[in-house]
Order: sequence, then C-alpha cells, then structure tokens
Amino acid sequence: MIAALKTFADRVLGRGDAAITVPSFDGALKPNQILEGADIVANLGAGEDLATDGRCLYVADGPVVKRLDGGALLDVRRFDRPVTALCVTAGGGLAVALDGREVRVFATAAGDDAGLAFTGPSLNAVNALSAAPDGTILVADGSSDQPYSRWAFDLMERNGSGRLLAIDPANRSVRVLASGLCYAFGAGAAGDEAFVSESWRHRVVAVSRNGFVRPVLDNLPAYPSRLSPAPDSGWWLTAFVARTQLVEFVLREPAFRRRMMAEIDPRFWIVPRLRSGDSFREPMQGAHLKTMGVIKPWAPPRSYGLVIRMSASGAPLYSLHSRVDGENHGVVAAVEAGDSLYVLAKGPGRLLRLPLDRIRQELGA
Amino acid sequence: MEALARLRYRLWPDHLLGEILSKRWTETAIPVIVLIAVAIALGRAIDGFFSIVSLADQARQAGEIGFVVLGMALVVIVGGIDLSVGSMFALCDFCALFCLDILNLPVAAVFVITLLFGATLGAINGFLIGYLRLRAFITTLITLIIYRSAYDLLIQDYSNRIAASFPDFPSWNFVGGGELFGVPSVALVYIVIAVFGHVFLTRLRPGWHITAIGGSRRSAYNSGIAVRRTIALCYVASGALTALGAVFFAARLGTVGGDVGVGLEVTVLTATVLGGISLGGGKGSVAKALAGTLIVLLVTNGLTTLSVRGGFNRMALASILLVAAIIDIRWLKNRTRIISKVYVSPTYHYLPPPPSTEIGGGGPFEQNDKLRDVTLIGLGRIEAPEDVILDRHDNLYAGSRHGDIMRFLAPDYEKMEVYAHIGGQPLGMAFDRQDNLYCCIGGMGLYRITPDRKVEKATDETNRSIYSVNDDSRLRLADDLDIAPDGRIFFSEATVRYEMHEWPVDGLEARGNGRIVCYDPNRNTTRTVLRGLKFPNGVCVASDGQSILFAETFGASINRYWFDGPRTGEVEVVIDNLPGYPDNINLASDGNYWLALVGMRSPVIDLAWRMAGFRRRMAKRLPLDEWLFPNINTGCVVKFNEKGEVLESFWDLAGANHPMITSMREHRGYLYLGGISNNRIGRYKLENADPNFVQYDKRWGRA
Repeated sequence: MIAALKTFADRVLGRGDAAITVPSFDGALKPNQILEGADIVANLGAGEDLATDGRCLYVADGPVVKRLDGGALLDVRRFDRPVTALCVTAGGGLAVALDGREVRVFATAAGDDAGLAFTGPSLNAVNALSAAPDGTILVADGSSDQPYSRWAFDLMERNGSGRLLAIDPANRSVRVLASGLCYAFGAGAAGDEAFVSESWRHRVVAVSRNGFVRPVLDNLPAYPSRLSPAPDSGWWLTAFVARTQLVEFVLREPAFRRRMMAEIDPRFWIVPRLRSGDSFREPMQGAHLKTMGVIKPWAPPRSYGLVIRMSASGAPLYSLHSRVDGENHGVVAAVEAGDSLYVLAKGPGRLLRLPLDRIRQELGA
Repeated sequence: MEALARLRYRLWPDHLLGEILSKRWTETAIPVIVLIAVAIALGRAIDGFFSIVSLADQARQAGEIGFVVLGMALVVIVGGIDLSVGSMFALCDFCALFCLDILNLPVAAVFVITLLFGATLGAINGFLIGYLRLRAFITTLITLIIYRSAYDLLIQDYSNRIAASFPDFPSWNFVGGGELFGVPSVALVYIVIAVFGHVFLTRLRPGWHITAIGGSRRSAYNSGIAVRRTIALCYVASGALTALGAVFFAARLGTVGGDVGVGLEVTVLTATVLGGISLGGGKGSVAKALAGTLIVLLVTNGLTTLSVRGGFNRMALASILLVAAIIDIRWLKNRTRIISKVYVSPTYHYLPPPPSTEIGGGGPFEQNDKLRDVTLIGLGRIEAPEDVILDRHDNLYAGSRHGDIMRFLAPDYEKMEVYAHIGGQPLGMAFDRQDNLYCCIGGMGLYRITPDRKVEKATDETNRSIYSVNDDSRLRLADDLDIAPDGRIFFSEATVRYEMHEWPVDGLEARGNGRIVCYDPNRNTTRTVLRGLKFPNGVCVASDGQSILFAETFGASINRYWFDGPRTGEVEVVIDNLPGYPDNINLASDGNYWLALVGMRSPVIDLAWRMAGFRRRMAKRLPLDEWLFPNINTGCVVKFNEKGEVLESFWDLAGANHPMITSMREHRGYLYLGGISNNRIGRYKLENADPNFVQYDKRWGRA
C-alpha cells in the first residue's frame, strides 16, 4: 500500500523511478573525439562481435568468423546462421553464439569440426560470451522475450528477462547464475564474481557464485554493452547507445509507447539507435536543429559512440567518444590486441583501430 | 477513444486557463472570491446579517476603516509600512472632538483642521522615513507609542469635558449618521475617494511613481523619480486618510475612550494583506484594499454577532493575517512558474498518413538530388536569411538575424552591404508598385524601406479580437506578405500566443493560433481577416488578382482566401496533407507557384500531435532542447499549379550544401533559396525558365 502510494506520488511529482533525469557525461566520461578519429581497419557488412587471444583479433561478421591477419580479414569459420557473440576460450579455442539461440564451443580456432553445441535452457538472445579462467564460458542472454535483433522492442516493452549463464564444456553442463536482468549484454569473469552489463538499468553489476547481484558501475549516461578484460588489469566497457531524456520520458508513457510500437516502423521510433540521421522521418529533437549549417555535438544522442576504460574494481578511468556530430556510433565491442584497441562500431559497420599510445597522448596522460 | 479525445480538445478551451492566469486582475479575483465565500457563510450562519440596518452599519464601519486601509495600502505599495495608524486615528478623533466641543469651531473647519492635523502626524513619519531614510517598521512603531502617549495625556485633561458636551448640528449629525438615497454619508465619501484612488494609482503619473518605487526603489531612483519626496508624501496621505476616517468615527460615536484605535493597525494590516497587496511593495490596487477591508469587517462583525469573546476574535484576525501573509509570499514567488506550467496547452491535431517521398515510390514528392549542386552566396557572411528577393537590377536582398536587411550586389553577389537596419529579424519581403520594400519583422510588425533606404513602420497592431482573453492587438510574429493589385498588403501572423523564438512551443500546441491580417496603406488601417490558422506562413497573391494563397505550416496545407471578386471572404483548401511543412509561396515564371517545404513530417510527431496529453507532459518535464520537434533540418522546393496539383519537387538528399529551405524566389532563370537557420543563400539554375522573369516587375506590369 505504502509502496503503491509512493509510486503514485513519484509519478505525480516526477521523482524516484518516474524521474527522467539523465546523468551528464562528466568526470571520467567527459566527452572527447578520440573514437571519432580512430583508424578504419575494415568496413564490415554485418560486424557483430570481437574477440582476441591477446595477439590475434577475431571478428564475427554475419555468419562468418574472421581473423585479422596483417591488414586483411581471413575467414576462419563459416556457419549457417549469423554469429551474435564470440570469444576465445581458455585453451585457445573459439566459442560462438548462433542467432542468439545456440552456443557452440570449438577446441581450435580454425577447422571444420562441429564443436560442442548448447541450446538449453531455452537460450534466446545470447549476445556475449566470455571465457573464465576456470574453463567455463560465461553467457549473457539478453532477453527471454525478444530475439537478439529486436533489442529495441525489449527496451520499449520494459522487459527484465535477461540471464547470465555459465557453460562448462568439460562436463557439458549449463548453469543459470542470475536471471531477471534488464537486458544482460556483455559479461566477464572477475575473480570469484562475474561482471555483467545490465543495459536497461544503465549499470554494470557483479554476480557472485551464489547469485547475489551487486552494482559495480551505476548511473551511466549510456546503455552499456560488452566487456572485455584489459591485459594490464581492468576492463574495456562499450556502450552501444546513449540515454536521452526523451527516451526516458517515452519509457514512462505507456499509452504513447503502445501506439508507437503498433503504428510506426521501428526505424522511426523514439528509441536509441545504432546509427542516425539517415532519414527525415526519424524523430528530431530541439537541439538537433542545424544552425548555420552545424549540428551541435552536445545535442541529445539518438546514436552515440562510447568506450569506457574501467578499473578492476569497476571505477571508470577515462572514456573514448564519438559524439552526436560524428559517425563511429553504436559501439558493441572493444578488445585490446597487441598495442592497439580494436573497436567495432556497428552503426556504420566499421572495425576501428586506436593505438594505445595515441589514446594516452590524446588524453594527455 | 481517439474520437473522444478529438471532441474533448475541440470543446474544452485548455489554453484559456493560462491566458486568464496571466492577467493581472486575477490577483484581485482571489480576495474577491474569499470575500464572497465569507459573505455567504456568515449570511447562512447569522439571521439578519444582511438586513438593511445591518448593512448600513457595516458600511459605516467599512468606510471608516476603509480610509485607513487606503492609506496603509498606499504606504505598503510604496514599499513601507505604517504601524502608527491606530494612534493617529485616536489623536485625530480627539482633535476633531476638541475642535468641535471645546473650541466650538464650525463643522467645516473641524474637517479641515483634523485633516491637516492627520497630515502633519503623517508628515512626521514621512520626514523620518522618506528623507532621513529610517526603517519604516521601527519608525512607525516609535510614533505609535509617542502618539498613543500623547493621546493618553490629552484625554486625561479633556475627556470629561468632551463627554459632557452634546453637540447638535445637523451637519455634524449628517456626517455621523446621515444617509443619501439610503447610502450612509461615509460610504459616499469613500466611493468618491476610492474611485479617485483607482484612477490615481493606475492612470496618473504620481501613482505610477509610487508603484515603481515599491517595485524597485533603486530603478525608480535611476529613472529620475523623486523617491524621497514620493515616499514622504505617501505617509502624509496615509495620515490624512486616517484623519478622514477618524472624523467620521468621531461624528458617529463622539467619544474619546481609552481604547479608541487600539489594535487598529492589526485590523488594517490584515485587510491590506488579505486584499492581496503585497508586503514586498510594488503591487496593489484600490479594489484589493476594498476587498480586504470588507473581508476583515465581515469576519470581525460576524464573530462578534456570534458572541465570540474578544480575545478569540482578535486571535482569529491574527491567524487570518498569518495565512494571508504566507499565501502572499508563496503566490508571488510561484505565480510565474504556475503560469508557465499551465500556459502551454497542446490540442488534438490529426494529419492523415503523408504521400510517399521514398525513392522509387513514385509521385511528385519522390526524393531526388537536384539541389545538390546549388551555388552558395554569402557563405558564412549572412546569418538567417529567411526570405530572399531581387530587384530589377538583379541585386539580392535578404534578412539577417542581426536585424538588418543585407544587399548582395549584382552580378557576382560577392559584395555585401547593409541595405537597411531595422532591429528585428526580417522575414517575408515584397516590392510594391513604388519600389518600396515591404518586410515582415518578427516581433515588430510590418515595415517598409523606401527606395532611398528610409525605414518606416507600416503597422504593428491590428484590431483586438472580442473573444480573445489575451490582448492580441499587437503583432507578435508577422512572417510573410504579398501585395494585392490595389495596394492592400496581406500578411500572415504565425501565432498570437508566442514570440518568434518560441515557435516550437506553438508547434507543440498545434492549435490554430495564427491569423491573416490586411494592412491598407491608402487608409492606414489594419484589420484581421482570418483567424484560427495553424501557423500561417507563405502568402502569395494568386494569378487572378482576387485571392491569396497561404500556407498553414503545422496544418501541412495550402489554402486560398478571396479578398475580392464574387467569392470575397471565402476560404478554400488548395492542397492538404503535404508530406512536409509548407513555408513561403512565390510566383514562378510559367504561372505556377513555388512552395518551400521547410521541414518534413515524421511519423512520430504525427502520432504525438494526436496525443495532446503526451505533449503536455513532455513540455512540462523536458527542456526545450530535448523536445520532440517537427523535423526542419531537411526540406525541399515544390512547384504546384493553380488547381493545387504538385508538379515536381527539388531535393538535396544529403542536406550538406543547403540544409534548410524557408523560401525561394525565381529571378531571370535562377531560383534563389533562403533558410532561416542557414548561413548562406542558395542559387539554382532552372531548366526552361523565362530568362527575363522579374517577379514584381511582372506583377506591376513593367516587364
């Protein structure tokens, strides 16, 4: 009763859960244009995920897993369905998720073998895999309600059906570590715990062995996606879209959302997107008005590019941006291989490379 | 459901609440409502409360206190306070009776002497506060004590002699208890003084000075008002008005008891604040003082009649004072916030699904890249050229947001000069028969630049609508015009509820807030001819010379209005359901019309326009930069014919070269493009166009 009254009061006064405030990009998240200035390694048709064993870079592009060899991408494995997640296992093999519904584990990176297949329990939208030091593979299953490609529907329906699972290839078992996550997107083992991006709650949480969930990095101004460990401790965290007050407001307007989803092409919804500006039928917000031929970089981001460097404990250290007036938006994966950071910007379909030296130089650190 | 929403928004005028609240008189409305409520409540509780006898008695008391309240109101409006009114009242009461009973002066002299005496008492306050700049509160507290002590000493010596005499002059009795047509004498005098006071405060220079000083003493001083003298005179007036009340009191009761005027300052202050005269100064009126007086009087008399003990009576009054003071402070602080919350009132607006613009979708609106290669004029040098126009010597004129009309000189348009400085954002432009350049200026009205570059105001106001709450006589956003063959100028005003830079708020409301206005230079009159249009824009006299075509930007339609001929006064839709937001319309050399679509419709805003509650909450909760806007980053130029058929469209797909198009003007085979948020003017070579076409030469028959 009291909770209901409080919810009602919050709705009237726009407080608590009804607040539509969005944290600003400040502190470690202070904007720059480093990501926008990254080198383009390749234009990918359907780039989806990156993985590395520390030296080699593997790229999931549509149904194909490729390896970056010098400047060229060579096919490593080909499947009949699109690959939605990719990781290099502890033994140097590969694990891939196919169409979000099946995970296959291979002992070697290349080859023609069928590998070990896992489909249960009812995998639906697997979007990230990560090898743990104990030989298991962490699986982030974004949503049990919507398939992987329809993540925008999942957000607009305000679902919270994401799960974190652990696959043990040794005894072929699958275990659910946490469920009820608001879109799990990205996972990584951190000691006894597992870090998971909980996109719709704008945070990274740590899940302990007994299923206890603890926020690690909270109140992000963006929707976090995949995580990858940085070799010298800490993490690279990507954010595939950024938050806007308009989207937060629409999320609190059920009637409008229902009609928008029923009547309008999803391309033109008020919803975060991996890329924007392709059509005048996309929604335009006040600050998007081009003045004197310029669109302001601080305008509300319909799409955005962001990579966050996190410490081992989850504190943000610095970040790389491609702002509203840029193009390298929709960053879904960033991995460090050799002396460079490789970033997958899914919006324009680009594989980007940023030498670590350059990042240090530009940040003035 | 949706039909219900449409009906609800059509029938219920949401926008009126905010407009009414923004009126100054609503501040007086609150005490008046309280007064009516109190009167009804007491009338029901007490039998005979509103009998003639009771009313007359109430009116006498009201008059006496009313004078004092008027004085207090004056002092409070000027930014001070007068606590000594109770003591002054007692002293003046004594003075009147002393003159009458002991000195045996005639009644008229008693009046004059008492008023002068009161004014002198007030002048002491005024001198101390106005000229020596002492604190009003402390000063009047001290004079309260001094005057009261003086009164106490005086009545020790004279009270018996005054009490023993029974003056019997008809004139004195008339002052005390006389009536004229059933109205007590005191009430008549009060009415006269109150009417004068109202005129004084609202219409006369000293009244304005008083309000100005109360609002901001420093600003008043800086603008040359004699602050000290005005303040001092307010206290003098307060003393004189108190004396006036005291004379009537003396005539009615004829006593100099020890409790005369005790606690009067609390009663009077309560009345002042209850009436809504702000203790902070600068706000107040006679009507408020009257309402406050009546409330206080009704409450005290009502409570007395209900046999409430005196202590409780005063306690009730003090509580009311406290509540009124709190409301006064809170209301003053939050009034503008409340108004800004309720002023924006979106309404239901339905547009059918737009025609296709997709490449490969066919139809006249199919996107293309014809405008990709427009050449640019004045890139980075001109800012916000909403409209462009060319004279017969091929010079190019365009407005800028710095309030200038710029001229680019033919033939290469490299040299740019300020043609005329106006001071507001120039919008639509047209040449008349004498080569005067008429221009709509946002926020200013319709202006005319003569061929020798003299800037003249044509008009900045029209007739006020009878049924409009807001005063809509001033022109707020005149945006495009054209000139009829007889010289009459028809121009559109996009909205009467918002200023130019607030156009997105008008788009959010999507109500018909705009109008078409006609200015007749021959008779120098301005009349509104059409109302209730959704952001009217783009006016163009049609080829028949009897009608204008005008665009309704947020209505996504083109309409025709006949100002002459057999169909005078009629309005007809020419094109509806455009895929974008129409802006300026101009004549093409082939007899058809050019139309600029300033922006394109998006499905989300079409849906939002059907959900008024969604937009209302959005306006309240999101900052303007985050609002959902009509998309005006991409636009196109369209050509349509007399029948309203769209013939072809010109697009710039990337929008990099010339992002926004608000206007276009054909001139000697080229199309010149303007855009209000651009820093450039576009020039596009037309195929198969008349190389000699000069729009206004053709119109005025020179070509």
